[in-house]
Amino acid sequence: MSLATDSPVNSSSSDDLAAFLDAELDSNSLGSSPEKEAEDKDEDEESIDEEAENEEARDDKDLERIKRRKTQIVETIQERPGPTSLGNLEEKTEVSLGTDNCPHPGSLGGMCYRCGKRLEEESGVTFSYICKGLRLGNDEIDRLRNTDMKHLLRHRKLYLILDLDHTLLNSTLLLHLTPEEDYLKSQADSLQDVSKGSLFMLAFMNMMTKLRPFVHTFLKEASEMFEMYIYTMGDRPYALEMAKLLDPSREYFNARVISRDDGTQRHQKGLDVVLGQESAVLILDDTENAWTKHRDNLILMERYHFFASSCRQFGYHCQSLSQLRSDESELEGALASVLKVLKRIHNIFFDELANDLAGRDVRQVLKMVRGEVLKGCKLVFSHVFPTKFPADTHYLWKMAEQLGATCSIELDPSVTHVVSTDARTEKSRWAAKEAKFLVDPRWIETANFLWQRQPEENFPVQQTKPEENFHAKQMKDQ
Amino acid sequence: MFFHIVLERNMQLHPRHFGRNLREHIISKLMKDVEGTCSGRHGFVVAITSVENIGKGLIRDGTGFVTFPVKYQCVVFRPFKGEILEAVVSMVNKMGFFAEAGPVQIFVSNHLIPDDMEFQSGDMPNYTTSDGSVKIQKDSEVRLKIIGTRVDATEIDKNISQSRPKWDPAGSHPSRFFCIGTIKDDFLGVINDPTTI
Repeated sequence: MSLATDSPVNSSSSDDLAAFLDAELDSNSLGSSPEKEAEDKDEDEESIDEEAENEEARDDKDLERIKRRKTQIVETIQERPGPTSLGNLEEKTEVSLGTDNCPHPGSLGGMCYRCGKRLEEESGVTFSYICKGLRLGNDEIDRLRNTDMKHLLRHRKLYLILDLDHTLLNSTLLLHLTPEEDYLKSQADSLQDVSKGSLFMLAFMNMMTKLRPFVHTFLKEASEMFEMYIYTMGDRPYALEMAKLLDPSREYFNARVISRDDGTQRHQKGLDVVLGQESAVLILDDTENAWTKHRDNLILMERYHFFASSCRQFGYHCQSLSQLRSDESELEGALASVLKVLKRIHNIFFDELANDLAGRDVRQVLKMVRGEVLKGCKLVFSHVFPTKFPADTHYLWKMAEQLGATCSIELDPSVTHVVSTDARTEKSRWAAKEAKFLVDPRWIETANFLWQRQPEENFPVQQTKPEENFHAKQMKDQ
Repeated sequence: MFFHIVLERNMQLHPRHFGRNLREHIISKLMKDVEGTCSGRHGFVVAITSVENIGKGLIRDGTGFVTFPVKYQCVVFRPFKGEILEAVVSMVNKMGFFAEAGPVQIFVSNHLIPDDMEFQSGDMPNYTTSDGSVKIQKDSEVRLKIIGTRVDATEIDKNISQSRPKWDPAGSHPSRFFCIGTIKDDFLGVINDPTTI
């Protein structure tokens, strides 16, 4: 068998058999005779002209050998300590291979997977969650995004990125469990058949995890409309364990589990590691700050606080769901409402949009659906913003406008709602007198989470201002 | 490719083994230490065929251990760029497929899979030609050409590192070969369809 074939890729490379063995001949570490015997044996099989390459190959092979030794000692193959002349010689042997035409779409393990050449600079984005050590260049990422997009649109699917903590589940370390929560330890569901359970004890990770009610149905129905990804700020082992709980048969997520080790930025999530066009991606997350670059794709979820440690982590001093021995409503909870919204968006995207598939943008649809929640309402705020605060930069104002309401500073007959935290202000009394709706600011926030205009009578303004929080409201709504 | 070469190694022996069975001890320790390991230079040592020569032992100062230089013949396996090998497919995904030829893992990207083969996802993801005649899926056998190799110092196999003394310089760091391959050339591709057998 001859290694030196006609194809330019295979000529005199640093891995070439005979040249390599040739170097062994000249090495002084292990003595020359054993290598010579080996070389003689193989020369019978090989018919390669070594003479010409001998001289320069010798130096190269020495360097190559030194390089290999150092490579074995160092964990990754990227660094090559040594004078730069070494690097130049190495490049020369590689260049003669004719791999210059290759656009190097990506690399696995430091080698371009199209031409096999070792790549020194690392450009592009790492996609460790698909294959370990995979890096893709930007052109390749675009190409893959396009082909994937076409494929999915043909199957009438969009992309859905799901956060784990406080969105689909709630985890706690075992040592953070309060005494009142000890009863949970005996109620944990079996890890053998996770498809029916919701509370799991993961002793090997010192954790307990509670899945949000309705999550199994949610995943099943969403998987028919979306290709789903998990994207969490937890580390890789945690992410994979949770994926096993949510998706034991690997039909929903498969390899699409992105953890914080896969993200490109430290405390931010990004769509750069997702192989899908931004115009077809929806994100479900409870933390807005993690997605500053992709707010338009984000559907903000109400946080799921099952364990006491979770409440305390966010500064709430109330009893958690586990301490109260209750849970979020299955059919009317956050996941159920979000599922309805997702179905609506999916319908509009595929059935009602007029332009061709490639031009549609799910962000527009999202904006439109969101704008229908409080359509027709005109709001005035009272005792909500600090004095002299520019009202239209306040998050409630912006939220209300996103939900389709119009906001104003002055009272006039077209105003429909007064949003206030104190029933004794002038504007609140005006509302009572004119028979307008007088509501607490949480009316807006609840509408944001449940994607529905809430009955105003459920949000009366308190006479005094107590320490209310979402959690208590969650309890009230059930 | 397989080679039959002569290697040398310094074996360190504890005095408890000195006696009638010294040579047997040295040989069995050598086999335990070396068979199954991999070095970047020689590749994987598959089996030791014979021991050529065991040199004079040298007593180490300060300890009672004795070092014997042993020359032995062994069969090694090392992948080379340009080599053509048969491998068994272990995993298929939309970026390409992974195949294994013994201890060597080879990745063939979809750029280097013939254009008429398309990726089909599902229970058993595979690459199939448009007429369905040729299919590459898990456990298919393929003939591929290696276009790049790399030695990886990977997770150390605990068994090996504990039996080998720390001072042993000839002992190479446990490593693994990883290669990039192609099936886009003539005569390459599936050689055995697992579903028909």
